Amino acid sequence: MTADEPILVVQDLRKRFAEKEILRGISLQLHRGDIKVLIGPSGAGKSTLLHCINLLLPADDGRILLHGRDVTGFRKRRVYEYRQKVGMIFQDFNLFDHLTALRNVMIGLVRVKKIPKNEARRRALRELERVGLAEHADQYPAELSGGQKQRVSIARALAMEPEVMLLDEPTSSLDPELTGEVLTVIQDLAAAGMTMMMATHQFDFAESLANEIIFMEDGAIVEKGTPQKMLYAAENLRTREFCARIHGYWENPER
Amino acid sequence: MDEFLFLRQEVAPALMSGLWMSIRLILPSAVCGLALGVLVGVLRIYGNHFLKALVGTYVLFFRGFPLLVQLYLWYFGLPHVGIYLSPYMAAVIGFSLCSAAYHSEYVRGAILSIKKGQMMAAKSLGFSHTGAIFYIILPQAIRRALPGSGNELIYLIKYSSLAYMVTCIELTGEGKILASAYFKYMEIFMIVGAIYLLMVSLATWGLNRLEDFVAVPGFERIHD
Repeated sequence: MTADEPILVVQDLRKRFAEKEILRGISLQLHRGDIKVLIGPSGAGKSTLLHCINLLLPADDGRILLHGRDVTGFRKRRVYEYRQKVGMIFQDFNLFDHLTALRNVMIGLVRVKKIPKNEARRRALRELERVGLAEHADQYPAELSGGQKQRVSIARALAMEPEVMLLDEPTSSLDPELTGEVLTVIQDLAAAGMTMMMATHQFDFAESLANEIIFMEDGAIVEKGTPQKMLYAAENLRTREFCARIHGYWENPER
Repeated sequence: MDEFLFLRQEVAPALMSGLWMSIRLILPSAVCGLALGVLVGVLRIYGNHFLKALVGTYVLFFRGFPLLVQLYLWYFGLPHVGIYLSPYMAAVIGFSLCSAAYHSEYVRGAILSIKKGQMMAAKSLGFSHTGAIFYIILPQAIRRALPGSGNELIYLIKYSSLAYMVTCIELTGEGKILASAYFKYMEIFMIVGAIYLLMVSLATWGLNRLEDFVAVPGFERIHD
C-alpha cells in the first residue's frame, strides 16, 4: 500500500427512510492520519452517514471501500471484522450498563477478539490509563459522569485497535464543563496519528484539529475544505452563513 | 398423646415423602421453565418471521389452556397417539412448558426495556448478533426480568400441587389421601398449606438474595 492510497473511501452513498432521502450521494476519502470533521444543521444526515459507514445501517446505494475493498456486500463474519477496524463513538456513549468501566473495555477483547482474560485486563487498563480513567476502572457507568462515560467509550473502541475512528457528536450530550476532558482525549488521539471522522458542532475545536471540514445539508455535501477556507473564504453562501453562526456561537456562547 | 403419635407415625412420613416429590417436581420444572422461557423470550424479539410466529403461537396456547387441561393432555391424551409418559414426566413437562410461556413474557418485556444503543455499541465493537444478545443484552434483561420471573417461580411452587391430578402423588396428594382416610381435612390441609408457605418463604428469601447478588448500580431495585 502506498502512502497516498486512502484507507477509507465512500462513493455516492445513498440512504432513504420511507419517503425521505437522508443521504443523497455522499462521496469522500480518508487517508491515514486524516481528521475530517462533519458539520451541518441537525437532520443534515451526518449521523446517518457515520452509521452507514460502520454498517450499522445498510446503505441503499453506493460503495464503502476499506483499503480498496468494497465492504457494502459483506455479511456476518466479514462485517464483524470490518467493524473492529472502524471504531465508533456515539453521542450518548452507549456504555454497557451492567459492566464496570474496565469490563466495558475488556468485553470486546475477550468475546470478540478471544484474547485471554488476563491479557485483556492488562490491555483494557492501559486504554483506560490513556484516557485518564485507570482509577475509575471498577466503577459502573451509572457511577461515572458523562465526560467519564464518553472517555470510557473511547477507550473501549481503542482497545479493538481500529484503523479509523468515527465519532458521532461525541460531546453533544455533555454539560459544557465536561466537554473539555473529552476533547482533550480526542486531541491526544489526533496527536497520536489516529485517522478520524467526526460529526460535531464545536467549530473552534474542529478548526484547531481538522485538516478538512465537510459541510453537509439535506443529505448532501455542500462544500468541503480546510478550516481556514471554510471559515473565511467559503464559496457557498450557506456554508458561510452556517460557519459564521456556529463559530460566533462558540466564541460567545451567551449570544 | 394419641394425636402426637398419629402425627409422628402417620402424617409426618406421608407428608415428608409428598414434600420430597414436590421438590423433585419443582426444581427441574423451575430450571427447564426458566431456560426455555429465556430462549422463547429472545426468539420473540430477535427471531425471524417463522420463529416469531412459532413461539408466539406456543405462548398463546400454553397461557391460554388451563394448566390442568395441559396436564390431562400430556398424561391422558398422549397415549392415544402412542406416547406414554410417567405421571412424574407428564407433570414436569407440563409445568416446564407452562412456566416457560410466562417467563418468556417477562424476558420479552425486559429485553424491550434495554436501550437500542446497547445493541448498536456491541455491534460496532464487532460482536455478532447472537454474541451481542448473549453477552450484552441478556445479562441486562435477565436482571430486569428477575422480579417477574421470581414471581412465576413462586407460583410454580403452588401449581405443582396439580401433579396429583395426573396421579403423581406429591405433597397435596399425600395430604388428600391422609385427610380422606382419617377424615381430618382441617388439620391435614392446614399443615400442608403451612409447608407450602414455608417453601414460598424460602424461595422469596432466596430470590431476594439473588437480586442483591446480581444488583448493579443503574439497575435499581425497589426493595432494599
